[in-house]
Amino acid sequence: MTTPFDDLSEDFLAARSDAAGEPSWLRDRRAAALKRFLDQAWPDSRNDEYWRSTPFAKRFDVGLPIVTEAGDTATPAGLTTSLDVATALARIVDGELVEATVPAALVERGVVVMDLSAAAETHADLVRTHLGSLTTSDDEGTGGDEDRTITASDAAWTAGVFVYVPDDVELDAPVGIQVHATSPGTHLPRVLIVTGRHSRAVVYLEHSGGGIADGEDADRKTLVDEVVEVVVGESSAVDLVSLQEWSGHVAHLSLQKAAVHRGGTYRHLAVNIGGTTVRIRPEVDLVGEGASCFPLGVYFADEGQWFDMQPYIRHIAPRATSDVLYKGALQGKSRTVFRGNVLVEKDAVGTDTNETNRSLILTDGARADSTPFLEIHCADITAGHGSATGQIDARQLFYLEARGIPREQALRLMVYGFFREVLEKLDLPGVQERTLAHIDREIEAADLSRVGVGRIADVAPGEVA
Amino acid sequence: MADLEIRDLTVEVQGEEILSGVTLDLDKGKTLALMGPNGSGKSTLAYAIAGHPAYTVTGGSIRFKGDDIAEWTPDERARAGVFLAMQYPVEVPGVSVTNFLRTAVNARRGEELPVRQFMTELKEQMADLHVDQAFLQRSVNEGFSGGEKKRFEILQMAMLTPELAVLDETDSGLDVDALKTVAEGVDRLRGPDLGVLIITHYTRILRYIKPDEVHVMLDGRIVKSGGPELADELEEGGYEEIATVARA
Repeated sequence: MTTPFDDLSEDFLAARSDAAGEPSWLRDRRAAALKRFLDQAWPDSRNDEYWRSTPFAKRFDVGLPIVTEAGDTATPAGLTTSLDVATALARIVDGELVEATVPAALVERGVVVMDLSAAAETHADLVRTHLGSLTTSDDEGTGGDEDRTITASDAAWTAGVFVYVPDDVELDAPVGIQVHATSPGTHLPRVLIVTGRHSRAVVYLEHSGGGIADGEDADRKTLVDEVVEVVVGESSAVDLVSLQEWSGHVAHLSLQKAAVHRGGTYRHLAVNIGGTTVRIRPEVDLVGEGASCFPLGVYFADEGQWFDMQPYIRHIAPRATSDVLYKGALQGKSRTVFRGNVLVEKDAVGTDTNETNRSLILTDGARADSTPFLEIHCADITAGHGSATGQIDARQLFYLEARGIPREQALRLMVYGFFREVLEKLDLPGVQERTLAHIDREIEAADLSRVGVGRIADVAPGEVA
Repeated sequence: MADLEIRDLTVEVQGEEILSGVTLDLDKGKTLALMGPNGSGKSTLAYAIAGHPAYTVTGGSIRFKGDDIAEWTPDERARAGVFLAMQYPVEVPGVSVTNFLRTAVNARRGEELPVRQFMTELKEQMADLHVDQAFLQRSVNEGFSGGEKKRFEILQMAMLTPELAVLDETDSGLDVDALKTVAEGVDRLRGPDLGVLIITHYTRILRYIKPDEVHVMLDGRIVKSGGPELADELEEGGYEEIATVARA
């Protein structure tokens, strides 16, 4: 049975729940979401302000059949598996969770990394409380996100991962979650991460596969509609790194939403490298007093790619901190959209927030749109935001060249330097190296003779004569 | 033929002629001072030698070790042994001092220097120039004080072992102590394999680095040349006297 994404039905959901042996409360949730789904329309880029920058109908094909099984289950070479430490690993291939392993030492400490459908039975309290808690507004799964792509996940997610780190447990190695595409179609991965008080967790969410963008695979298309919920417990520290390393024609929608409780710290890094269209919404609700979040982004867009990044931070509780920093480079005919939002609600006194986006246009033809928004309903806060888009700085380039460094190498140093500010904020095993290796390959593939350099007039202000 | 041989050099910046026929010889082992008031074209000559893209050579030649380098890219000139200590060193965010220096040194020497050997050399030079080791982790020139920037220029000069060093107003903006450190650093690097062109408005740096010749530039031309005593005359009479004579 193949069901196009557009034609979600009760029968489809029932078949899925039967196959996964899901409890009735989860079936009810899915049914409630389906009801909302049927009442909603797909995003309309003419009318929906959050979709204004990226044409939904053109970039996302909702007619592709939903993939419910796993294709090629070989383990891709990812970040987590490249590490020299024993890590918990969950692997989603297409429509199925094919592996969930946890080192014995972590099992003993109560760490859970398992199939989400099964967890709905074995860890019913936790999953029932938190699954959908950031996408819907009540326990029955009604109300909530107005975006049909999110409702669709609530109703029909196929392969899910549940991660739980109990109170006072500090993981010293990352938990890896691989989302790997080997069959074209619609993929509906779902992740729920819950951490207890005073715990510490690092999660690497890796996206790969999708075929090859050129040649014989050119017609295959994959749509990934993903929802990740992260519940950061009191005084818990969670780092989530989301790597978009798609190799081919993948259109990726991802809501990655966290709620940070009292004194908790949440750091998020989105690395956008692969895929034809990636629209990522890294959102954070700062619900507990003194919570903090650091949403970071690194992106490198080249020919044909479209990256839309929409971090959204809600300051709900007092004295919380947020610092958003996104930096990206563009080359070829590519497009990036940064639409950052910080909302400071009326009780959020003592809020400290900052939001920055910088784009480096390497060659003509690329376009970066950047709009950092700030909406404040509370006095007594500290807020800053800024955005800049520019080319390679001619004065810096000359300085490096004048020391004997050839242009290509000088440009590479400068681009590294540009990204270093972001990567240094998150010193996690393998992340910097892997991201820089991606950047390296992008620079390698770039036509550096076409790199635009700031105007000569900008070169030496006040230095002439 | 001199190691650096500049003949009838004319240079334009944004369509405006700044140098109007400069001729100058500099041999390795020698130190020349090029003096002149603001706007006389001293820095333009420095940038033209280094190959700055905003400075267009419209006539004449710059020969270095026998090659006409006027069409060479800045990195080619630097690898051949030209070094420009800049008046306004540029901040390069995110690029660490260590990484920058190592890349530059490898480019200049044409081989990958083993890291340990590079670090040993670097630390020796840093000690000589009183540069704090904490610099190594910082981004190039970012947040450096005026004096730190100038000392870092001289540190680069020491590591890159140029055959021609052009010091563009290296003395500007330095207090007496900072000037002394920088000047002593340069003095220590002088020797039979290095020609030095000191570009300055003031005579005070010449108290620490004795030049073999002094040339005075005015309106894009060299109008007077002499020995070290010429600097003393300028100290006394300033540029006004020379200007009056030259423009008459």
